[in-house]
Amino acid sequence: MDKTGEQQRKRSLSPLLRRLLRLKFWLVEHLRLSERQLTLIWAALIGVLGALASEGFRKTSELLHYAATGSSSEIISSFVKLAWWQRLTVPTLGGLLAGLTLWFGNRLFASVRQKTTTDYMEAIVVGSGIISVRASIVKSVSALFSISTGASIGREGPLVQLSSLVASLVGRIRKMPIPQRRHLVACGAAAGIASAYKAPIAASLFVAEIILGTVVVESLGPLILASVVAAFVSQFLSGSEPLYKSPGFNLHTRWEIIPLSCVGIVLGFLAPGYLRFLRFAERLFSKIDIPIPFKLALGGTIVGALAILNPAVCGNGQGLLRSLFHQNWFWDEILAILLLKVVATAAAFGSGVVGGVFTPTLFIGAAIGVLYGQTILYVAPGLRADPAMYGLVGMGSFIAATTGAPLMAILMAFELTLDYSIAPYLMVNCVVAYYCSGIFERRFMYGESLERKGAAFFKQQLAEVNLQDLVRGDPITLPKNATFAQIAETFVQHRYQHIYIIDKENRFLGAISLHDVKTFLDRPELESVVIAADIMDEDFPRVSPMQGMSEALHKFSEAKSERLPVVDNLNSKRLIGSISKTDIILHLAGEQSGTGTDRQF
Amino acid sequence: MISRKAVEHLRTAIFIRNLDAESEHEAISRMLGRLQGHAQVQDLQTLSAAVFDREQIDPPLFPGGIAFPHARTNSVSGLVMVIATCPHPIPFGEIPVRLIFLIGIPKRAGADYLELISFLARHVRGERVVDRLTQAEDMPSFLAGFAEGT
Repeated sequence: MDKTGEQQRKRSLSPLLRRLLRLKFWLVEHLRLSERQLTLIWAALIGVLGALASEGFRKTSELLHYAATGSSSEIISSFVKLAWWQRLTVPTLGGLLAGLTLWFGNRLFASVRQKTTTDYMEAIVVGSGIISVRASIVKSVSALFSISTGASIGREGPLVQLSSLVASLVGRIRKMPIPQRRHLVACGAAAGIASAYKAPIAASLFVAEIILGTVVVESLGPLILASVVAAFVSQFLSGSEPLYKSPGFNLHTRWEIIPLSCVGIVLGFLAPGYLRFLRFAERLFSKIDIPIPFKLALGGTIVGALAILNPAVCGNGQGLLRSLFHQNWFWDEILAILLLKVVATAAAFGSGVVGGVFTPTLFIGAAIGVLYGQTILYVAPGLRADPAMYGLVGMGSFIAATTGAPLMAILMAFELTLDYSIAPYLMVNCVVAYYCSGIFERRFMYGESLERKGAAFFKQQLAEVNLQDLVRGDPITLPKNATFAQIAETFVQHRYQHIYIIDKENRFLGAISLHDVKTFLDRPELESVVIAADIMDEDFPRVSPMQGMSEALHKFSEAKSERLPVVDNLNSKRLIGSISKTDIILHLAGEQSGTGTDRQF
Repeated sequence: MISRKAVEHLRTAIFIRNLDAESEHEAISRMLGRLQGHAQVQDLQTLSAAVFDREQIDPPLFPGGIAFPHARTNSVSGLVMVIATCPHPIPFGEIPVRLIFLIGIPKRAGADYLELISFLARHVRGERVVDRLTQAEDMPSFLAGFAEGT
């Protein structure tokens, strides 16, 4: 081999190297992570972080609870040990501190609250996936005070909030686009619910069914992963027992199916009353014109007063649920605690305590179910009905009827008990309850809240957007004496549907619509006799930069036009440009921000 | 092609035979005067002002001495038309006019207006047609003269 051949051999790749390169290309091609796969990795990470945040909140609230009551037991047990005056003062002081936290927080971070949201539902559905850190911390601290001092409110709400906040932070740090950030916050919410209830399937379904409104695999996949990871981490940190361990149920006779199938009907018809009572309490408190710290203190006082009668009203109702399923209660005891719990929850909710009503609602459903079961046992002893089974079915049915999410309710009740024997009855009753509730109530627990937030958000967005920013300064114009030939030519040259007619001072006189003249464009006889002034629409809607976006959209609905003329003001009518409907929609879609709200899971 | 709608408008028009006027303004004013009390004219003053405003922008004239003073205004509830023949041409600016079609049309009826103008522009064309139409004694003979042309 000559010298040149030797050099060529050296330059060419050896067979082994070639194979390695081929392998590398194959690996790069097949193992390269797409955006969807990356989302799954982020979802898993959110699951871990969400569970840790939830666990951190749980531990802190236990610590505060100890400081407030001098007991490390569960809330109800701690309150049982307190003197009557302490039962009254602890929730009152807790409410006052929670209110002061909110009051100072709102004053300190008012500007932050205006630009971002603190509500995870809002961040997912209508926001930009950005949750305010400072405002969220304020809310969480406020929730800590309320929850650790016995407010009848769910601590699951702040757990979900914190978990969503962590997800939002990850999205912001990674500078993800808005849709991805929203999805990540949804994963955070699912992780929070999963770690709160150790119910990963129901958690992912809650977010998909109630918040996202869809159960497509594309969005459900990451939610499931985040929930499962969070549930695992949570189980690892605080045990793997189901929250409400079912003792196992059997039907003693087939005839029991009949009363058991009616649980959904009963709970379905009662749920609208419960929802309306909560709203009534909220309205009632809103009418009391006192600063928020006193309002929350008043809510605490009501709970405290009820706690003097029965300390079991304190807390989210989780301990009560356990007791209801595992101990024998007399019907009058259940009825009493049920009524007290409804009032206590309404007082806490109505006064504006930060937290959720999901767990109290679980208890209320279960208590009604148990009462119903006891009634069946009394009326038809031959059926040998087990009231606890009716309680479990009632719990699921009531959740389905109040949230409007039967699928989530079925899975939640199933996961909380891990009892498959009850699943068929749960399924039937949850669906029945949902339909029965829907007869009287269209505003479900979270749907109403989301609807309100969505509407408020868009109203604010529309009001805040500056029309001037969207004005394009190159409208197609003609003078009022432009001939029909010029009009036809202009329509041919430009793709716009309207030509604006102006006078010598550039004042807007009207618009000519292509739709109105298109059938005459090929008639040369009109070219010299018809001018713009003859065919322009003088009443064509116009907007001014002084007007808000909602007014502009209203004008669009009048004009049925993609574009509207913009005049400096509605008196002088000097044309300064045009604004398009598409630009407004793109603007609203691309630069959304939200408002602060308080209601949570 | 004959537009039925346009012919219908012609049929319901007011016909003035041998309009005598010294000027464009006088001719139009006299034609407008014939619309006094017309069922479809709600405000004659506004209609008059609109017609004269339009004349000031760019008087619509066809070759052969035909004028189309008109206005789109909501002072009329439907299309109204007055046709005048002028054996002695009336000066509209520098153009001697022998046939005048005064039209008032509601704002919403833009398409009707274009249709009518297009119809007239196509059919009232040429010296012979104008001669025939100016010789009409009444509306039926005017329409007959029109029909000959189409």
